[in-house]
Amino acid sequence: MGKKVLVVDDNANNLLLEKDLLEVAGFTVFEAENAADGLIITRREKPDIVLMDVRLPDMRGTEAARILRRDKETADIPIVFVTSSVMAEGIEEIKDIKKSGFIGKPINTRTFVEEISRFMKP
Amino acid sequence: MFWKRTTKKSMEYAESIIDTVREPLIALDQDLRVVSVSRSFYEVFKVYPEETVGKLIYDLGNKQWNIPKLRELLETILPKRTTFEDYEVEHDFATIGRRIMLLNARQIKRVWGKDRIILLAIEDITERREIETGLEKANEELTDLAAELNRVARAKSEFLANMSHELRTPLNSIIGFSEVLCDQTFGELNEKQEKYVNNVLASGKHLLLLINQILDMAKVESGKMNLTLSHLSIKNLLNEISMLVEDMVGKKKLHLALEIDRDLPDIEADELKVKEIIYNLLSNAVKFTPENGKIGIRAKKSDSDIEIVVWDTGVGLAPENMEKIFEGFFRVDTPYSRVTEGTGLGLPLSKKLVELHGGRLSVLSDGLDKGTSVLLTLPIVSAVGM
Repeated sequence: MGKKVLVVDDNANNLLLEKDLLEVAGFTVFEAENAADGLIITRREKPDIVLMDVRLPDMRGTEAARILRRDKETADIPIVFVTSSVMAEGIEEIKDIKKSGFIGKPINTRTFVEEISRFMKP
Repeated sequence: MFWKRTTKKSMEYAESIIDTVREPLIALDQDLRVVSVSRSFYEVFKVYPEETVGKLIYDLGNKQWNIPKLRELLETILPKRTTFEDYEVEHDFATIGRRIMLLNARQIKRVWGKDRIILLAIEDITERREIETGLEKANEELTDLAAELNRVARAKSEFLANMSHELRTPLNSIIGFSEVLCDQTFGELNEKQEKYVNNVLASGKHLLLLINQILDMAKVESGKMNLTLSHLSIKNLLNEISMLVEDMVGKKKLHLALEIDRDLPDIEADELKVKEIIYNLLSNAVKFTPENGKIGIRAKKSDSDIEIVVWDTGVGLAPENMEKIFEGFFRVDTPYSRVTEGTGLGLPLSKKLVELHGGRLSVLSDGLDKGTSVLLTLPIVSAVGM
């Protein structure tokens, strides 16, 4: 079985796009459309990586990430923020979250999987 | 006789002093009757000597001087103290309107008797007060305006951040899915489908470029565009960018000439921004030059700057369009360039980025179909951040 990845994004189209790209590359993909579901799935599945949108309906992705960091069980799971907030304020918001990365939208579908693989343990 | 003469002399002396003082001055006896007033008093308060001297001060100017605060000063305060300064009185005079006055009072004992005289100097501060109040008000308005400007600037940058976010979300789907389709990841496309989905992808990328350039323009204009300076081999950079446009150049069978001086020094600049500038100018040259034409780059050192010229033998510019090309969204429609090819922001943005480096950018053309040269300078040693 391939590596497990959780994608948290409230936009169904963008969620589907990331899911397609990851499944083609052999990942097992879990999906969540809000932060609360994302937290539950992370605790249950312990994915190898979490791809997190920042503007989510129930809380900011960065807040969800901080909750995961406080929990010993999930503290070390890499989180990559895949976000449309590419301006300075957006980048500022995520910079103090450990083991996190940043990919701006629109994503490059040809390099996406390679980019997120760089954030995962070999 | 001598005594009388001296008295008369000292009276004249005293009155000439009183008259010289610019501020209205009244001398009162101990019954508060006017002994003498300065000429300025008559002028300021529009009263005449015959209705003044010998009268009770309160009765002056048809009892206009019957001012409660003045009474308080003369009857309550002065008997206890010999001097009083800057006693503020505001009063509405029938003849001269509302006045604000500062009163300075002093009691003087006469040498030859037990009577006292009271000297009352009146400083009219109405105008000064008005100016002060006006200044205060102007100052308040200025503070309000500055706060409003700050609020507007904040609202503008929030708006831009939101716009950027809201446009990128659907663009992620447009570009992402069409890219996946183009790559035929989930099955083959026929020729027409491939062509159409390529059009969707190209338009999506065009829209993204527009958004990025608009945001960059806004950043430069609000002073939020920061340069990341490094030592830059401009020679390598020019070679690199000319290789990047090789495909475009080849497709139009253009001849690309590079004339880069051997001793062209490295410069201190933001590598990504300079690349963007040169790429913009070079792709403009390609875009606006018909097949089999020539384009080129010349670069040399010029004093403390380097000077780069990106030239072409293309469609040129009509004199009336020379300024318009920097306004944004201005595009020359030519048979050689499809309207959708450019954003119309490349040149204005390049100019702003050059200026941010402390350089200059200008465009030269001898007219329509006579080619175009873009001349830009960049300082060798940056003054930014010093």
